[in-house]
Amino acid sequence: MNGHPQYAESLALYALGALDNPKELAELEAHLGTCGDCRRELEALRADAALLAFSAVGPKPPERARQRLLNAIAAEPRAERRKGRPVVVGRLRSRWLSFAPIAVMLLLAVFSLLLGLNVRNVQRELRHARERESQLHDQLAEAQHAQEVLAMLTDPSAMRVKLVSIPQARPQPLIQTIYKPENGHILMMADNLAPLPANKVYELWLLPANGHAPMPAGTFKPDANGAGMMWHPMETAGIDAKGFAVTIEQDPGSQTPTPPIVMAPAG
Amino acid sequence: MAGLYDRYSGVVYGVALRVLANTTAAEDVVQEIFLQLWRNPQAFDAKRGRLAPWLAVIARNRAIDHLRKRPMEDDIDELPISTGVDLESDSAQKLAIEKVRTVLAQLPPDQRKALEMAYFEGMTHTEIAGKTGDPLGTVKTRIRTGLLALRKAFA
Repeated sequence: MNGHPQYAESLALYALGALDNPKELAELEAHLGTCGDCRRELEALRADAALLAFSAVGPKPPERARQRLLNAIAAEPRAERRKGRPVVVGRLRSRWLSFAPIAVMLLLAVFSLLLGLNVRNVQRELRHARERESQLHDQLAEAQHAQEVLAMLTDPSAMRVKLVSIPQARPQPLIQTIYKPENGHILMMADNLAPLPANKVYELWLLPANGHAPMPAGTFKPDANGAGMMWHPMETAGIDAKGFAVTIEQDPGSQTPTPPIVMAPAG
Repeated sequence: MAGLYDRYSGVVYGVALRVLANTTAAEDVVQEIFLQLWRNPQAFDAKRGRLAPWLAVIARNRAIDHLRKRPMEDDIDELPISTGVDLESDSAQKLAIEKVRTVLAQLPPDQRKALEMAYFEGMTHTEIAGKTGDPLGTVKTRIRTGLLALRKAFA
């Protein structure tokens, strides 16, 4: 015990969330606020508890759970991200990070000469370094994108439009769009959409408030359950919209809507 | 995220299934945790611990919330966990799992039971004492001694 012995047992219970005596709880938490040793001991006890958790590791989740997760996080197809204005991830990366693979390569080269390392080992290390950088790159892009989506979902000033199918169908297809004219970003969530042939896509159209022609606002395909999510940046920010509509277009989408309109604003 | 899932979903699912004893509910916990990790990857601070034990603890806490029908929090808990045990590679995980199970099997049954009731059933020490009929102090001692036995085995 690297903290205070009088709190040893309470700390162990606290690490498991099993301390329920209000007086002891309050006293311990007040003490933890001032005692670094006991805080460190708490972290160590949580690590001990994590080891306990590992006694249960073994069964793997079924494949459907993986697919369910991937469907849920597929806010937009990657191909969609590359179109229009892509999510810029370079700005998030420190300049030195861009040179990391080169630095690693040089260092490994020097070490390989000095230590007589096999060149194959160096190449393997390099590959790992690049893989790590690539993973970091992906995670940063996902993080930035996730923040953007969350901000839109919680932004009270964003324009929200519900689209329903024309004609009515059962189960009722429903699309919700959230639009921020200031930056031109659109978030769309779809449910119960009918499946499409392989060469067709649903295309969302922004209907400008000034009466101009509908503007392409992204294409999407629903999953096997008819659900879909899409995040789309308009080419131009600041366009006021009176609504949105959806048509079915030839993949990869059209610049002008092809009748009929299959989804239009509710009401 | 698919890579992270393939690597760590077994940890989350195994722990959630142990707590909930229900595959559908355990899958829900897996979904919640990985979705929140995707939304907020900064919640995991690599400087403050390793991913595998962190996920194991988060999975346990979320599963207990499900068990006790407590409302979910929006964000993944920020729990600093300091462990020197390597749990990242598959082989290291297998070794650790075997070792933990061995240590648990060697604990006195009362001690192991108290630890499991607190950790996997989310019971408080008062509830454990009420269920086993043991004094509160004894339950406390058993839980701490059990945790320290695990620490000692991995020291």
